[in-house]
This record gives sequence, C-alpha cells and structure tokens, in this order.
Amino acid sequence: MTFLGYQRESGAVGVRNHLLVLSSVSCANGVVEAIGRELPGTVAVTQGYGCGFGPEDFRISHRTLSGLINNPNVGAALVIGLGCEVLKSEFLIREAQGKPVEDLVIQESGGSQATTEKGLAIARKLQQELEAVERVPVPVSELVVGLQCGGSDALSGVTANPAVGAVADRFVGAGATVILPETTEMIGTAHILKRRGATPEIGEQIEALVNKHHAFVQEQLGALAGMVIAPGNVEGGLSSITEKSLGAITKGGTTPLQEVIEYGTRPRERGLVIMDTPGYDIDSMAGLAAGGAQIMLFTTGRGSVAGFPVVPVVKISSNSRTFQKMPGDMDVNAGEVVDEGLTIDEMGRRIFDLALEVAAGRQTCAEHNRSAPFNYLKQGPSF
Amino acid sequence: MSPSELSNAVIHHEDDNVAIAIRPMRAGQMVVVNAREAVKAAQDVEVGHKIALSAIASGGKVYRYGEPIIEATEAIEAGVWVHVHNTQPIPGDVTA
Repeated sequence: MTFLGYQRESGAVGVRNHLLVLSSVSCANGVVEAIGRELPGTVAVTQGYGCGFGPEDFRISHRTLSGLINNPNVGAALVIGLGCEVLKSEFLIREAQGKPVEDLVIQESGGSQATTEKGLAIARKLQQELEAVERVPVPVSELVVGLQCGGSDALSGVTANPAVGAVADRFVGAGATVILPETTEMIGTAHILKRRGATPEIGEQIEALVNKHHAFVQEQLGALAGMVIAPGNVEGGLSSITEKSLGAITKGGTTPLQEVIEYGTRPRERGLVIMDTPGYDIDSMAGLAAGGAQIMLFTTGRGSVAGFPVVPVVKISSNSRTFQKMPGDMDVNAGEVVDEGLTIDEMGRRIFDLALEVAAGRQTCAEHNRSAPFNYLKQGPSF
Repeated sequence: MSPSELSNAVIHHEDDNVAIAIRPMRAGQMVVVNAREAVKAAQDVEVGHKIALSAIASGGKVYRYGEPIIEATEAIEAGVWVHVHNTQPIPGDVTA
C-alpha cells in the first residue's frame, strides 16, 4: 500500500514539506514571528521556554525541539537563538538529520532587525530548495500515526474512540506505527494493558508506567486526584475509572503493544506503541511530533479546535451536534454512528481513507484555520 | 426503515454483557443493536449509559470493550440500567 509523500534522505517519509522557523528560546520569538509574517508559507513556531530550567527540563526541551526539526514533515529548518540562553540554537541544528538546517543568533547577527533580514534571506533560499522536492509513491508502512483525545464527552468512548481503534488496527495491519499517548488517561487499566504487551517484559513496563503515573497524580493533586473521573463523567454514564480509561485507550485498537517510549522519543518498533505523555493535548501532541508522527487523529466530544504545527491533525467529533455547531473545525463526524447507523468498522474505514488522503496532501480543518498551538512538557520550576 | 431508525444502542465487543444507549431509551422499549433486537429496556436509560444484555449475578463482572470494568453489588436482570447504584469498582482496580 502506498501514498504520495516526500521521501527524505534519512529514509523517513513526510506527508508535508514544511520550512520550519523555530526559536530556541522564547526571547527569540519576535524574530521568528517577523519572519513568519513576511513569509506566510513558512511554519513559524515560537515557544515559552529555552532557558532558566534544570537538567531534566533541558533534556526534554532539547529532544522535543530536535525531534520537531527531525519530523519527516519538515523539509528544512531555520532556528533563531538569542545567544545567552541555555538551549542554544547550535545544539538543535547539530541534531538535524539529512535535511538543510541553519541557525542565526540574534546577539551575534546585529540585533532583531538585522537577524530578521538575514533570516528572511535564508528562509527564501530554503523555500526554493523545498519547492524542487516532489511527492513520490511511498509505503504506508513508513507512517507514524499519533492518536490524541481532548474535550471528551459521553459519546467519545462510544463512537469516535472505538472508530479510531479500528483505524489503528488498519494502520498496524499495513505495517505502520501507531502511538497511543496520554498516560494519565490510562489510570485504572494497568492490569489490562499489562496483558496486551507483546512480551511479558513489555507488559510489566506498561504496568509500572501507569502505576507510576497514578502515584504521581495522587501526590500532585491530593484530594483532587478523584477528578480523574469527574462528576460529568459519571453523569455521562461512566461507572469507574477503569471504564473511562478503557474508553480512551480503545483508540489504540486491539493489536499487541510493542514498546513503551519516553516523551518525545522515536519508536524503535513498528505496530502499536505507548508514549508517556501528559493528558494536556498540546504538550502531548508535541511529544508525538518529536517522536516522528507525520499525522495525528484527534477525537473530541466538546469540540477541541487545536491542530499542531508541521503535522496535519484530523479532528473527529464524537457527536453530530458538535460537528454541526462548529462548521469548519471538525474533519469527521463520528456521530454518524448514532445518527446514520454506521458501524464502528465502517466509520473506521472512512477515517482511514481520509487519513491517507490527508497524508497525500489534502488539507485538514486545523491546517486551513492555521490552528497550530505549540507547547511542550516542562516538569520542574523556572530559575 | 434506515438503520438509524432501528439501532438505539451499541456493543463494543462480543464478550460484553452490556450495551451502550446511543439514543434515550424508554422503559419497555426494545434495545436494538445493529438492527437486531437484543433485550427489552426495564427502565429509562440516558445516552452513554449501560443496559444489561443478560442477567448478572451479585458479584458478577460487567464487561465493556471486552474487559471487566465493574462488578454488580446486587443481582441485575437483563434490560436493567447498570451504573454506580448497582455496581462498584472491582477490588484491586484503581479507585483514584
């Protein structure tokens, strides 16, 4: 099975051919924004961190931003640094694999205005290089599909999530990789996920990860830990955390879990893998993108409009009301399982076909709306 | 008649002993899944809520997505609404 994508030197396959303009620290955001305003065809990504953090947050930010640059949808990148920050632009471009990547440091390039001018010249040159790259037939098995849910409702675990589970099974069947994130949403299912590990060792890793997260949530939230299952969830018909979490992990489908990976790292195995990410959608999607996801399937009940920079996000509404009241935000109405009598499998086939069209260039609602918030995991305090 | 007029509930997995209402269900109404009548609803059930497809003994497990999610705290007849009033989390599972 193939689709028309971009073959990268590294062997990876892109579904988009973006020029990424990225700040290595929030202090450089102004220049990145100025370049983005002048060249709307680029993907300008600003961020809130990059300095004043501890060693663990340095590692997370380094691998997340490097991973974003190395995402196969990025054809070339320009990184703007300030100069005195902890996470220097040169650390990021050093990690780039098989693609043109350049950096500019504002303190050494004549300040903001001169750096913007220099950056525009570099960006125009990189854009020309990218225009020469054409789509060619590439195997579906090279796809890494990220799953995500946000703003769930009573129908999320009934329509949209099971349908995405059917899609996940299809992608795994085609030899592709599917990443199931959001460890917080797995609490209460450690004993079930353990059985789904491809080997007993993987099963034990998953169990340990979910239990660790559960302890972390209890430690951090104390009496609020029960909010993991909110009163609204119970009103919606969910009777236990296990039932709620099963409704979330059903997005992953039914194939064995091949691997557990850290936030923002690349899967080594194909098939279904778990990435340790927080439930906060934007942070979670950054982890998926840094892990190499070229496309994401995002289910929502209440109507999350968030896409992501450089990665097309297919928004799937669990119900027809949300789909209809927010025209132009949702790509798929899984509410048709309720209103049109479609089976979960039929809905899954429809989403799979759409995902392949999106991979071949069809624009998603979030891409059209340029809805692309960016943020990533930070665990410690700022200094 | 279109399937949407027929089906008012879904079952996720063949091992499940509950169906999930996708339309508001009235007492006495047939619970219909994939155009097949499964059981008669014993009471009103809201969208997203569970209905027993077969009798569940007190202490018996309730299966959804093919997995045990809760256990009955009393005998539950087929067609009865299944929720926190007649079930509890399975001891050993996480309760937050």
